[in-house]
Amino acid sequence: MENPPPVHLSKSKSHRHSSWPVFRLLLLVSALGLTLVPVYWMINTSLKTQVEVFASPPTLYPQKAVLENYVSLFTRRNLGAYLLNSVIIVAGSVSLAMAMGSLAAYALARFHLGHLQERISFWVLATRMIPPVAIVVPIFLMLQYLGFINKYPGLILVYTAMNLPFVVWMMRSFFQEIPVDLEEAAMVDGATRLRSFWDIVLPLAAPGLVATAIFSVIVTYNEFFFALILTSTPAAATLPVGTAALIGKTQTLFGEMAAAGVVATIPLIAFALLVQRHLVRGLTMGAVK
Amino acid sequence: MKESHPTIMSGPPGTPGPAPGWSDGEVNTSADSLALIEGEGGQAPPQRPEVAPTRRRRVPLILLALLAPTALFALALTILPLGYAVVTSFRSFRFGQPVAFIGLQNYFDLFRDSNFYRSLGTTLTFTIVATTVEFILGMMLALLLKEEFRWQGLIRSCLMIPMVVAPVVVGIVWRLLYSSDVGLLSYGVQLMMGHPISVLSNPSLALPAIILVDIWEWTPFMFLILLAGIQSLPQEPFEAARVDGAGPWSTFRYLTLPMLRPVIVVAVLIRALDAFTVFDQVFVLTQGGPGMATEVSTLMVYKTAFRFSQFGYAAAMAVTLLILVLFLSAAISRSLQGQVRQV
Repeated sequence: MENPPPVHLSKSKSHRHSSWPVFRLLLLVSALGLTLVPVYWMINTSLKTQVEVFASPPTLYPQKAVLENYVSLFTRRNLGAYLLNSVIIVAGSVSLAMAMGSLAAYALARFHLGHLQERISFWVLATRMIPPVAIVVPIFLMLQYLGFINKYPGLILVYTAMNLPFVVWMMRSFFQEIPVDLEEAAMVDGATRLRSFWDIVLPLAAPGLVATAIFSVIVTYNEFFFALILTSTPAAATLPVGTAALIGKTQTLFGEMAAAGVVATIPLIAFALLVQRHLVRGLTMGAVK
Repeated sequence: MKESHPTIMSGPPGTPGPAPGWSDGEVNTSADSLALIEGEGGQAPPQRPEVAPTRRRRVPLILLALLAPTALFALALTILPLGYAVVTSFRSFRFGQPVAFIGLQNYFDLFRDSNFYRSLGTTLTFTIVATTVEFILGMMLALLLKEEFRWQGLIRSCLMIPMVVAPVVVGIVWRLLYSSDVGLLSYGVQLMMGHPISVLSNPSLALPAIILVDIWEWTPFMFLILLAGIQSLPQEPFEAARVDGAGPWSTFRYLTLPMLRPVIVVAVLIRALDAFTVFDQVFVLTQGGPGMATEVSTLMVYKTAFRFSQFGYAAAMAVTLLILVLFLSAAISRSLQGQVRQV
């Protein structure tokens, strides 16, 4: 480390102190404004009538708030079917990934594997870093061969594989935080390994399980690329695909477009608030705690 | 990695601790079976009770059973498709013609395809500009908001909204803002310039518009990671610097930046890789248009494969992109790490 360069005791210091909170407040308010105004504009548009949407100048809040856009989405645009597909596919793939990934994570956290340990960890990370575009063509061809295009199992399989590296990585770090002594004590009392995993480790890792599951739910629910390629009709297409198709169909029906965006977002905001604290850790695969 | 080593759980009931030679039991199966024969020969040391051999023999099996489903999935849906992508890239898929092996022809075609270079250029511009701006903005926000303040949790949750919302919905949000009929942004432009403009159908504005969307969506991510990094830095060096009278810039330049480097590498790497393969927002906002102004590489692969059914050519493109991604990530982490040595 070099020495820090000579510093002048700034006379601006007192000045800075007085203006600091005001400046910070301004910055905070503008950051919040820039973040929230676009979202507000979508909500605002979704509640307007088809006529008011085109008013010039645009109205800053709906003069007469109506739900007609939302009603139309469910009665005429099949949004209910897309929502149901999303729920089934997300639930199926996240529970599969959680079940298999937790077991693998437990194995990696508790058994001594020597060099293999690092190699497996590397593979887990590497599979997360492979861009979807690199494997989308062969996956499409494989699932087409199996007859899984535009069916639930196709997307569930792909999403399970997509979530697994993340689940293994997160759960491994949660399992490692649980003291081994507890399990040893249980096994002294005659518990099998599976029993000690089920009765002791899993309950202790419950917060981690919940955070990991919710994070996987958010990522899976939002996924668009594979969904677009592997599903197309209301029989299996997820909400993002349905919404994107709606944009193509409605073109200037901005009210409905906005309403679809709101419908797709509400469940997510609720979930995100629940895992607020864990979100950064999840996004970076635990690189930052 | 350190903490993962002592976590061996093969100890049989009643053993106070792993006996010598036990810790490697799971991997070292041959030594294990040797010990087993010894044990049956009646020479078992007293600290190894009789249940030990069965338990020990079962451990690798359990391990296998625990890891197998995950390994199988990774194999079937990641490794196998990667291999199959390479195989497909050597094949010709043309409508009405049988699938044929054509060697490197797809790659030769690709390297002569000016559209491919153009989309690569668009993608690189998008990646570099978006990541840089997001990093600078995120760092500024993180530095200015690092101290605890009122409603921090609430404000942080609000800032997280753009990156939690589905990318498709982000596309909708910005379509509404950019649209020349109903958009807030274009209305503002109309007030200033006297006439409305349709941002997304203007060839020179479409790419900046899409970059702006990415900045809106992902600056919070940079901010949150850098904030977490800054808040986890040790306080002593900063106190020492304050005592020595270091100004804010030199504190940042010679303390925060070097100490934060691992976090910065991760944040920039993740962002750059995701930006390099951007798809959803572009698909919703412009579909690559007008003309080819916003046709990023992933979109080009999508169109080649699923609109024109040229799976072989698309696979060659995808493999090339994968190699570029590997180079990109190596280059980014090297250049950022290189700066560590400089400081």
